[in-house]
Amino acid sequence: MRYGGDGRPRLLLIILIVTSLFLITLDLRGVKVMDGIRSATQGVISPFQRVGNSAASPFRNFFSDITHLGRTRNEIAALKEDNARLRANLLNRTSADAQLEDLKSVLDLAGTAQYKVVAARVISQGASTSFTQSVTIDAGSSSGIKKNMTVICGEGLVGVVKNVFASSALVMLATDPSFKVGVRLAGSEQIGILSGQGSQQAQLQLLDNQTQVKVGDILLSRGSIHNRPFVPGVPVGIVSAVDNGAGSIAQTASVTLYPSYSNLGVVSVVVSASEINPRDALVPRAPIATPIPTVTIFVTPTPSPSN
Amino acid sequence: MLLRQFSLSALLVLLIFVIQESVISQFRLPGGGFSLLLIFSLTWASLSTPTVGALIGFIAGLMMDLSQSADGPLGQWTLILIIAGYVLAFLAYGDDSVRGNPISIVILVSLAVGASLALYLISGLLLGLKIGSISGVAVTLIGNSLWTLAITPLLLPAISYVHNFIFDSKARL
Repeated sequence: MRYGGDGRPRLLLIILIVTSLFLITLDLRGVKVMDGIRSATQGVISPFQRVGNSAASPFRNFFSDITHLGRTRNEIAALKEDNARLRANLLNRTSADAQLEDLKSVLDLAGTAQYKVVAARVISQGASTSFTQSVTIDAGSSSGIKKNMTVICGEGLVGVVKNVFASSALVMLATDPSFKVGVRLAGSEQIGILSGQGSQQAQLQLLDNQTQVKVGDILLSRGSIHNRPFVPGVPVGIVSAVDNGAGSIAQTASVTLYPSYSNLGVVSVVVSASEINPRDALVPRAPIATPIPTVTIFVTPTPSPSN
Repeated sequence: MLLRQFSLSALLVLLIFVIQESVISQFRLPGGGFSLLLIFSLTWASLSTPTVGALIGFIAGLMMDLSQSADGPLGQWTLILIIAGYVLAFLAYGDDSVRGNPISIVILVSLAVGASLALYLISGLLLGLKIGSISGVAVTLIGNSLWTLAITPLLLPAISYVHNFIFDSKARL
């Protein structure tokens, strides 16, 4: 059954391999046609992604929902059906609420810093087959988004726009291994470079060896020329561990990034920032302790009964 | 004859690509998740002749390269999947102990998914891409292979049914 004697499969294999090498070479040489093909594909795919996103949003927390389904198993059929309907409604509502909450907090942050932002929904979570960390958002060049714009969410820096298509854009997350951002420590003006590590933890390298960095220090983005790729003052993360290895040239520290990258819902792209650097205004406020009501009792001294 | 089978297979790959991009990538699954396109194309290749295996690898690789989240140059996945498709078809086709046994196909496909990802990683390093921490890479590689091991048995009956349908209709015509 196997045919290999006539050499046709081998010839085909060689042709295909040469074609792919040809493509790699063209792309690495920066031929514009290659970029065009990719954006055209994205243009075709993004309507499907939108549909997929709205269809999938109730099931996004699939794994946690399985336990909930287990609980309702014992109930009678009618109640079960009713319950499922209500649950679906609730899940839809929860996801809408969460998006509203995201939007509110990001607008708060953008408002304080006087950023002009474009809000966008995350419509795809990136590919499992590549080692990059990226998301696709549902706003693109038609909404004024350009390459190398800062993307933020309510908690802080999300990443940077890497590729722009007509109605969608690819955002490289701050967790991406090739992501680098200039940061400074809030309070002291020490500067350093933060690199993504593929997880919630990032690596900070300080430029000055004499700097004192301690756990709990907050990092803000340092900003770039003309505010691209980074606007200044966006909260990035908090120092979680300091490595003081003897003999190291520069001090390094582990940083926990603020946003939770696994469940990004709504993000904002900073289209333009104000001329004024917000400095430390965006440092996340520590939670305010709720005052415990104190009860004061006034006692008027009564004259002791005289006898 | 080959053209007809090939164009039908290519259409299927296109469909799987759309499903992968619009549905599967909506979920951030633990351990990096899985790629339906990889599973489908490699399973398809393991059921086909080396010629069809290489061709299906070419189409699937091209699709993966065109995905907006592909980070390498256009053609990197194409190259890897041509080789993976050809090798897998070469190993499985004609060897009745492999072809007749679903378990060996599942294991072969899972290993091939892991190997393709590792090959992608190594070729990416050669081309100067950043890969991040070793633990992150290991989780993605192992996670993807395990997901494939879990998903392929569920898809195999459907894929092999469609495969038989396309490739046997030729005999009837």
